[in-house]
Amino acid sequence: MLTYLQFSVIKFRNNMAYRFEYLMGILNTLLNFLVYWCIYKALYAGAAEVDGITFSMVATNFIISLGLTNAFSKNEMFLHDKIKQGTIANELLKPVNFRMRMMFEDMGDGFFKVVFNFLPAVIISLLFTQLQPPAGVLNLILCLISTVLGYLVLWNISFIIQTWSFWLFSVWGIVTVKNAVINILSGALLPLWFMPQPVLDFIKFTPFDSIFFTPVQLYLGQLNGADILFNFARQIIWIVILYFIGDIFWKRGLKKLVVQGG
Amino acid sequence: MKDILQLFCAYAKTGLKSRFQYKLDAIAAIFAVFFREASGIIVMYLALLKFDSINNWNINELLFLFSLIFITYGIFIVFFMALRDFSDWIKHGDFDRVMLRPRGLLTQLVLCGADWLAAFGHGTLGILLFILSANNVGITWNAVTITYYIITIAGGVLIQGAIFLFFSAVSFYFIETQSLKEILYWNVRKFAGYPISIYNKLIQSILIFVVPFAFVNYFPAQFFLRKEDMAAYPQWCMYITPLVGVVLYVLAYAFWRYSLRHYKSTGN
Repeated sequence: MLTYLQFSVIKFRNNMAYRFEYLMGILNTLLNFLVYWCIYKALYAGAAEVDGITFSMVATNFIISLGLTNAFSKNEMFLHDKIKQGTIANELLKPVNFRMRMMFEDMGDGFFKVVFNFLPAVIISLLFTQLQPPAGVLNLILCLISTVLGYLVLWNISFIIQTWSFWLFSVWGIVTVKNAVINILSGALLPLWFMPQPVLDFIKFTPFDSIFFTPVQLYLGQLNGADILFNFARQIIWIVILYFIGDIFWKRGLKKLVVQGG
Repeated sequence: MKDILQLFCAYAKTGLKSRFQYKLDAIAAIFAVFFREASGIIVMYLALLKFDSINNWNINELLFLFSLIFITYGIFIVFFMALRDFSDWIKHGDFDRVMLRPRGLLTQLVLCGADWLAAFGHGTLGILLFILSANNVGITWNAVTITYYIITIAGGVLIQGAIFLFFSAVSFYFIETQSLKEILYWNVRKFAGYPISIYNKLIQSILIFVVPFAFVNYFPAQFFLRKEDMAAYPQWCMYITPLVGVVLYVLAYAFWRYSLRHYKSTGN
């Protein structure tokens, strides 16, 4: 475990070198937030609440899910590039589990973005808008745990798609489509409170709402008692299912892998 | 002129051939671009199912507004891909090759760079949105409106060309301009499709004066739709899109010519 944590630490330090990039990252997050804030301000058109959802709940949903989207974004062509360039051969020779190493590197990246990108953006956005405070200390803790689980759901989906580079000429198109689907169905762009019922019924059978929406609901205190357990269970079950699907593709892919030259 | 046309056709032919070398992959990429851009529209559509309208713009009017963004980008990228990726040209020393050829520098860059996959992806989406909305927003199509539409599209293409010509000029000083483009173009474009009247003063000023997307879609759309929120802006804004395009392009070109003197090859 400590070995893998080192990968995270190195990634974190790498990021520290690009100060300009992270300044731009904060600016981008803020701009995105401001835009959604304006769009929903116009949609609300002065109404105090729509379907029992107040404007500040919507704003809170956006700052959390936009911040996490930003923090969770990673190089999804990583495995693709390693396979196409053949450098995966050297990677596989190293005495570490390749998947674990990949995940911990991404987590190092993600943690960096949470600390230096997401948190500053939250603090600055407090200057011009009202965000809901967490419903309670316990809610904040549950939200943090659920955020980590949400990250694992997202990471495992991404890994499955990435393993397809063993078979496909390029996975860029599929990665792009996948991200668009997640953007629509996870509630990152349209809070799931406002989704039409048929779409919600469909989302229930997918892992997408457990990425951002479960943490948001926990933060706002919209879930209690059995619902909290149920949502955590859903996140964990999806992680397990997605992990094993990824495992099948990964092992099959490795068997098929031919690296030419050296 | 004929010579330039021939050159463009030759480039287009080789470009298409190389892009469609792997047919299935190319079609998948076009679909991916189409779907990525459409996802924003789908989200807007779902949101309007709940909220009905945004600042009195209904869904058809919004689709019409968005279609202008995608159609102009689809045409823009046929001519200006080389400028979009210009920092790579400098980084890899490809620009030196262009300098050795017997044609104008910018002429070559404009003619040779066509991102056909993006052109088809964005173009199809733009045309689809136009077809879905154009007959439902009360526009009477006659010689005047059609001429206005075509000239406006050309102006919108030129405005975006000018923005990227400006970025390219900046690449002569700072080779890496990715973050600049990200924040000033790509991010702005994402929300430029909405009526600018919904934004606060800061974002409105950006869209009118800094990255003038307002002239690509909002003001031209107002010529057709005449929504009441136009009252906040001078009426003549609806007519000056081509002028904005030409003036910006000339300014950007002057800056480009000037910056060219600072060009130092990155060598290899």
